[in-house]
Amino acid sequence: MTPERWQQVSRIFKSAISLDGEARAAYVAGQCGVDESLRVEVEKLIQSHQRASEENFIDGAAVEAGAALLIVDDENGPQPSLNKGQQFGSYVILNPLGAGGMGEVYLARDSRLDRTVALKVLSPDVSSDKRRMQRFWQEAKIASSLNQPNILTIFEFGEVEGLTFLATEFIDGETLRDHINDKRLKLAEILDIAIQVLAALDAAHEARIVHRDIKPENVMIRRRDHVVKVLDFGLAKATEKRLSVLTEQESEAATEFKTAPHTVMGTVNYMSPEQAQAHAVDERTDIWSTGVMIYEMVSGLMPFKGATTSHTIVQILEKDPVPLTRFTQRRAPEELQRIVSKALAKSPDERYQTAKDMLIDLRNLKKRLDVEAEIDRTSSPETPRVTVIDDRAPQKRRVLMIALIGMAVATAAIFAFSIWRASRARTTPAVAPPVATEERTLTYWITVQKFRNNKAYKDPFTLAGEINFEPDYQIRINVRSPQPGYLYVLNEGPPEGSAQPEFVVLFPSSTANEGSPLLAADQVVQIPQQTWFKFDKQQGTEKLWLVFSKDAVPELEAVKEFAGKRTAGLITDSARNTAVQNFLTTHSANKPEYEKGAKQTTLKTADKLLVYAVKLEHH
Amino acid sequence: MKKNPPPQHHITELLAEWSDGNQSALDELYPLVYEELHRLARRYMSRERKGHTLQTTALINEAYVRLVDQRNVRWANRSHFFAISAQIMRRILIDHARRHAYAKRGGGAQQVSLEEAATVTPDQSLDLLRLDEALKSLSEMDPRRGQVVELRFFGGLNNEEIAGVLKISENTVTRDWNMARAWLYQQLTGSGAN
Repeated sequence: MTPERWQQVSRIFKSAISLDGEARAAYVAGQCGVDESLRVEVEKLIQSHQRASEENFIDGAAVEAGAALLIVDDENGPQPSLNKGQQFGSYVILNPLGAGGMGEVYLARDSRLDRTVALKVLSPDVSSDKRRMQRFWQEAKIASSLNQPNILTIFEFGEVEGLTFLATEFIDGETLRDHINDKRLKLAEILDIAIQVLAALDAAHEARIVHRDIKPENVMIRRRDHVVKVLDFGLAKATEKRLSVLTEQESEAATEFKTAPHTVMGTVNYMSPEQAQAHAVDERTDIWSTGVMIYEMVSGLMPFKGATTSHTIVQILEKDPVPLTRFTQRRAPEELQRIVSKALAKSPDERYQTAKDMLIDLRNLKKRLDVEAEIDRTSSPETPRVTVIDDRAPQKRRVLMIALIGMAVATAAIFAFSIWRASRARTTPAVAPPVATEERTLTYWITVQKFRNNKAYKDPFTLAGEINFEPDYQIRINVRSPQPGYLYVLNEGPPEGSAQPEFVVLFPSSTANEGSPLLAADQVVQIPQQTWFKFDKQQGTEKLWLVFSKDAVPELEAVKEFAGKRTAGLITDSARNTAVQNFLTTHSANKPEYEKGAKQTTLKTADKLLVYAVKLEHH
Repeated sequence: MKKNPPPQHHITELLAEWSDGNQSALDELYPLVYEELHRLARRYMSRERKGHTLQTTALINEAYVRLVDQRNVRWANRSHFFAISAQIMRRILIDHARRHAYAKRGGGAQQVSLEEAATVTPDQSLDLLRLDEALKSLSEMDPRRGQVVELRFFGGLNNEEIAGVLKISENTVTRDWNMARAWLYQQLTGSGAN
């Protein structure tokens, strides 16, 4: 359209839309005269105007339309950081050392005092929360007054042009995590490390500071003298993991404390039962976490570790770990088992009440072992070793099962849960998802609609199962079960081989089954309910995950909300995406029986959870 | 992690220079505001929950308060700030949409996800990239109407604010919007004369 023509159309349009029906038609006809094409153009524009108003075309702000894109990119995109050589207050950045949930750590030179420091710069997301920062300042202030050789010294904390930083002594060494992974620790070394950690805690607890996040990642061992340093006192509160009933406000807060991209996700493995239940915590939570750490160093295994986060939490709340004395690879004395099990008492009141008490017990044990080793060394090699095997009969005990309604595993892990109890006999430790005796049956068939020029072509037909689909086929999947249960359907892409598969929630969605995953017996569900899936142009295989469970599946309940979003089901939260991936990987190992009939395919499993990927090949 | 936010007085000066007609001030201003808006948008986005709608104006206002020294500001600077912010929000969203579209097309990886055909409402299926293209064509024919769309759709401004920024009457804004929107609709739905 030429600008002249545009002006002409615009002038007529402007007045015409303020008129109605016949008056409008007459006005437009009068204005356009013999110029038929002008009239057509104006009429069409008026029509577009009406439709655009009815459909609220671009009525919302663009940010809303693009919101999903921003979130997706935010989770994948790199974050800018300080550069080598850059001046930051009185510090010069020498090298990046690493990144964590709360920010980045650099090796830096303090130009005033000419010393090398570790400079931790909190990410703006963390530091922009005023309430939490206030707490952080308070605790950092107290923490910086702690003067104990096993506590990382804080030199300075403050703000440089809006960025909160913390300058600490720089330790040339490795974290206990790397140390555990690198080498098999000797018992004496384990005790040595535990004693130093407890000495640090003892000093901190004296000053009324609870660490809250004791784990191997927060313990460093200096290379030159193996001195242990506990990091991040006072920081945990500002960035702590929280498990609690999900409220709107809290979930918002949690989002802000998401782990930064490309960093290690937080873990619940070291959490105390009171932390896992979002109860108030005190010094005794650190005792628990130290107990977990000692257990891990001795046995090489986590005392509480389930197939999923929810299972881990069940174990934290209810399970007694296998006694350390049962592991044969390291000689764990009975006394160490006693100390660790006291640290891991479920009720804080039954635990060591102070770090000092535990410290004293460990020191005494260390002394005794040193003496014994000395005797061992000087006496005959036939001297029997002090190995005690605990052979108490396995006791009947209760195991908790947890149904998580919403869940996010990240540094900020938040969920709502409902709990019910079931009795069962003791099973093997470590990974022990609940045993189920129920069975699940799920029947599916596929409806195909051919399309030509974007129009349905001929009648739809049904297939018992998968075929190699033509590109112009659009399909629906139909599902039914003789049992009631929870159904979730997800699409996976891109294929294996790429870094991280993405999942799209197809069912439940706000348009199907009123957003509920719960199906009645023999209820037929058609997915999608009103329209069709079409294949994209590229040849390949689609994976359509069917999950049918007796109980609600927490990992999938947590991603339901994405189905109603603008991204049409794409899970844009990487922690939750990972949880879904882990869930499907873990549970698809148990393949259901597959029986393809004439009209439908039936899946069966003896478990109360059925997970199956329908593979849809297309040209 | 974000670099140090630029000092307020600097941005205030740049705004003043720009509204006095110095175009090179805009070159310096643009990346500063881009970064701030982008950061804020992401933060707002990550808080987005069902039932909460994101207010672009609130976002731009926050950027404005953070970036511009309120004591030394003229009103003209404010409307200039809104104008540039709308432009920048458009850039941010289009950049993201483009990257996303690229990733969807393959961007190296094979893309095989199912597409739910024609289930989304027109607003949801709004193709930002095509809208951007159409808006460019509109602006070539009629720069003012193009700006009205930019300020309203990308900048989240209401008609009164747009009238202030463009120094036209509110009625004119309404008329411009109706015409521009009808034309864009026609371009995007293919129901046009062409």
